[in-house]
Amino acid sequence: MRQNRKYLDPVFLSKLGNMDLVARCAVEGFFAGLHPSPFHGFSVEYSDHREYHAGDELKFVDWKVFGRSDKLYIKQFQQETNTTAYILLDCSKSMSFAGEGAVSKMDYGSYLAAALSYLMLSQSDSTALILFAERVIKHIPPRSRRTHLNIILTALQYNRPEGQTNLAGVLHTIAETTKRRGIIILISDLLDDEADIFQGLAHLKFLKHDVIVFHTMDHQELNLDYEGLIQFEDLETKARMRAFPQSLREGYRKRVSEFLDNIKKTTGNSGIDYCLLDTSEPLDRALVAYLAKRKRMM
Amino acid sequence: MSFTEWIFLLGGLAVAGPVIAHLLAKPRFRRLPFTMLRFLRTGQAESRSRRKLRDLLILLIRCAIIVLIAMLFSRPLLHIRLKPSESRSVHCLGLDNSMSMAYSDGSGSYFDKLKDAAIDYIRSAQDDALFNICALASGDWMQGLGKEQALVEVKALKVEPGGANVADFLSGLSRANRSEHLSDNVSVLVLSDFTPNTLGQFINVAEPAAVNMIDYEPIVSSEPVNNAAIAGAHIVGLADGKLTINAAVVNYGQVRQNRRLTAKTGANKSAPIDINLSSNQRNIFQVQLDVGAAGRKPSVLPVELSLSDGDGLSGDDTFYLAVSIPGHEDINVLLAGEGDNRMFLLKTAIDTLSRTSSYDALRIKQVPMSELADSDLDWADVIVCSAITDRLGDLASNIESFVKAGGRFVCFVAEALAPVATKQLWQRDILAALPGKCISERTYIQPKPTDSHASGVDHIAARSLSNYRIDKVLLNGCLECEPHPDARLLWRLQNGFGLVYLKSLGSGTSILVNTSVDDSLGSLTKSNASVAFCRYLLGESHQIDEYCFTRGERIVLPMPGRADAFAGQEQVWVETCDGANRRAVVADSSLLVPDPAGIGWVKTLGKPTIYAGVNLPQGETDMTKPVAAELAGVMNRVFATGAESDVSEAGVFRDKKNRPLWKIFAWALILLLLAEPAVANRLKR
Repeated sequence: MRQNRKYLDPVFLSKLGNMDLVARCAVEGFFAGLHPSPFHGFSVEYSDHREYHAGDELKFVDWKVFGRSDKLYIKQFQQETNTTAYILLDCSKSMSFAGEGAVSKMDYGSYLAAALSYLMLSQSDSTALILFAERVIKHIPPRSRRTHLNIILTALQYNRPEGQTNLAGVLHTIAETTKRRGIIILISDLLDDEADIFQGLAHLKFLKHDVIVFHTMDHQELNLDYEGLIQFEDLETKARMRAFPQSLREGYRKRVSEFLDNIKKTTGNSGIDYCLLDTSEPLDRALVAYLAKRKRMM
Repeated sequence: MSFTEWIFLLGGLAVAGPVIAHLLAKPRFRRLPFTMLRFLRTGQAESRSRRKLRDLLILLIRCAIIVLIAMLFSRPLLHIRLKPSESRSVHCLGLDNSMSMAYSDGSGSYFDKLKDAAIDYIRSAQDDALFNICALASGDWMQGLGKEQALVEVKALKVEPGGANVADFLSGLSRANRSEHLSDNVSVLVLSDFTPNTLGQFINVAEPAAVNMIDYEPIVSSEPVNNAAIAGAHIVGLADGKLTINAAVVNYGQVRQNRRLTAKTGANKSAPIDINLSSNQRNIFQVQLDVGAAGRKPSVLPVELSLSDGDGLSGDDTFYLAVSIPGHEDINVLLAGEGDNRMFLLKTAIDTLSRTSSYDALRIKQVPMSELADSDLDWADVIVCSAITDRLGDLASNIESFVKAGGRFVCFVAEALAPVATKQLWQRDILAALPGKCISERTYIQPKPTDSHASGVDHIAARSLSNYRIDKVLLNGCLECEPHPDARLLWRLQNGFGLVYLKSLGSGTSILVNTSVDDSLGSLTKSNASVAFCRYLLGESHQIDEYCFTRGERIVLPMPGRADAFAGQEQVWVETCDGANRRAVVADSSLLVPDPAGIGWVKTLGKPTIYAGVNLPQGETDMTKPVAAELAGVMNRVFATGAESDVSEAGVFRDKKNRPLWKIFAWALILLLLAEPAVANRLKR
């Protein structure tokens, strides 16, 4: 398991360079590391047999095989397309932030988007990718073909962070332009006006979309572990501030914690799945969150 | 407050350094892109004020540290002005209770007079006066005494069997002066007989002691001094069971001495001899003490020499001398040479040695080398061979057995060697070195042995040999020798080759001398060093030792031949002069005895019993009266009084009291050094 988890480590993935390889490594690593689990696939077309393990649902037991061999086997199925996933990746300048020794939030989000796209398309879900900052920068419409993955991965590969965040506006735009219901996956640092963000998310929820928010944050953003005298420069506004982080750390953590609690509480109240991701952590938490959501939809 | 070394205060200017650094230094900020500035802004004002506070506090602490260091080096003194009513009189009394003070004339003893004078002095002092009393013989101080306590202490003083120790008195006086409890009016009184011994110590004082007032009184008799003493004694020899002792007796007074000198050990007493000494005369008298059977076996005899009664001081009429008798032992020396003439000089030297030896009997037998037989080896304790010949090769196994059994094999080597015999002796590990080719080079012997502490040789003989200027003896050549791995090179030639090699084999010893009898050894045996050289080669001689120490001297008892008796012991109980039992430390072949506290005998308890005599230092009871003018000059120089003093300590006795502040400053500095990192780290958080 530990060996396989390395393929989910963002620092390891950042060394691969090729987005296709990143996506495959992440997803295959994720599945290889799982125990026989309920997250194999969602389909009606027969794919394979495997041995029964405690915890497997009895409805998937192949009773005919049991009658012949006196052994319990589970039937596995090829997935069928029945949903559309919209991956919204924040490409504002703030996403380019990377703490010491870590990957940037942008890269982390890209790896996550690639892994999710690979996973969805391998299960024949239609997948769309929307890159945005102040406005939508690139919109790749939903398709379920396997070749569609190349388009998505190329877009992610050559994407560069720029501009300020206008998350609320973008969410309203998506809500208005998306005709078909599906899963909206938002990957962002949510550094915008909180009330506006919640309005945008509420708009999507109102249109019966299933919304998952992957809140990507750097470890330093969460903890402010810097030492010494530092002049901070805002990546988006270019504002500057001189500070002695040791003396600010306690208050900073408290305010960040309040901010995260507020988001979590509000999204929870709206039925939106919220997942806080630290860019120093592996990607599996995000993939599990997605698969859990997908399973609930089945 | 003042500063003794004010120049160091200039070091305080270094405080400008951190101040300037503080003013000029600008904080260096590391530029860092960030995203969540809105969460940082609230705490920024607080951070800046904290940083300023921290910088200021640290600056102040660092400046204080520099100033304190400068002040510490300047040796600050705090002047405390005392009110007249607060000043007290402090009297320091130096009372001589050395052995000479036990002298008694018709009007009583010196010491009684001293005590009377001291008591009168104390009684005449103010009621609130403080007394510090020093007994000069022991150097013990009794400090801070009230009037009544001082009287009690003076009455309890006793004469101690030892000399006065002026250095202890003066150093204690200096310590008392430096004490913060000492007031400003210090008087010193010295009561002594000021014998030449005591006065000499005062004369040798280098640094005067600062006092307000000095008073002294020589306690001397108005009558002519009547005192004789045994100043020393030495053993001359032991012959026919009679110990001959030379005793130095001195008349320290002006009265002619007609006394009787007696020596005794145990129940044996010498016949008393009458001695006559005129005024201030010193003479040596010889007494013979019959020690009987004790002289035939190894033992330590306590010998007590005493003068009959008849002078004013009996404490110096006895002298204690322990004599170590090694026991009677004959040594058979076999001289084996190629011809009679070859060993002539060596035999002459050993003959001389046997005559001059005070105790050992050397029996010498000379045989031609070719006639050397097994029976000769059985007879001999020491075999001296003039060269390595074929006969020695034939007897190699016998010689090996002889040495292993405790014999001593001394072999001279000459240019003409018997190679087969040499090889046989070498293979049997008998030879200490393997002789090689001949070096025909005239050379001298080194003045001192290379290894003076090797076992198997007499260290005293080695020292004696050096004194005979052996380095002046010219040798005509030598052989290039390869030493045996177990051998030691004892003496070297000045050209770098070895002269004497020694090797232990079994319980015996083999010595190889790198020269020839008829050539180079001829030069050696013709020189003044010949007898000493024979003694050196024949090994440790058995001679009489004396264990005699003076009071105050460190007592170290050698244990020749007795080290085995104390093997495994780290401490041995001894009885000292005052009758107390104390522990003595066993170190190597010596016994370190603690201060015996008196004169008389020190002896080990249990077996073997080792005695040591402890006596008065020479001249302690020399009762020569001091010359008044000389005494006054010495005392005025030793004790610098009041305004006349030119020493810095004299300031102590003025109307102010100076209290050194360095301890306070040092503690403050330590606290600041501890506080600085603590403050810096605390404010960082």
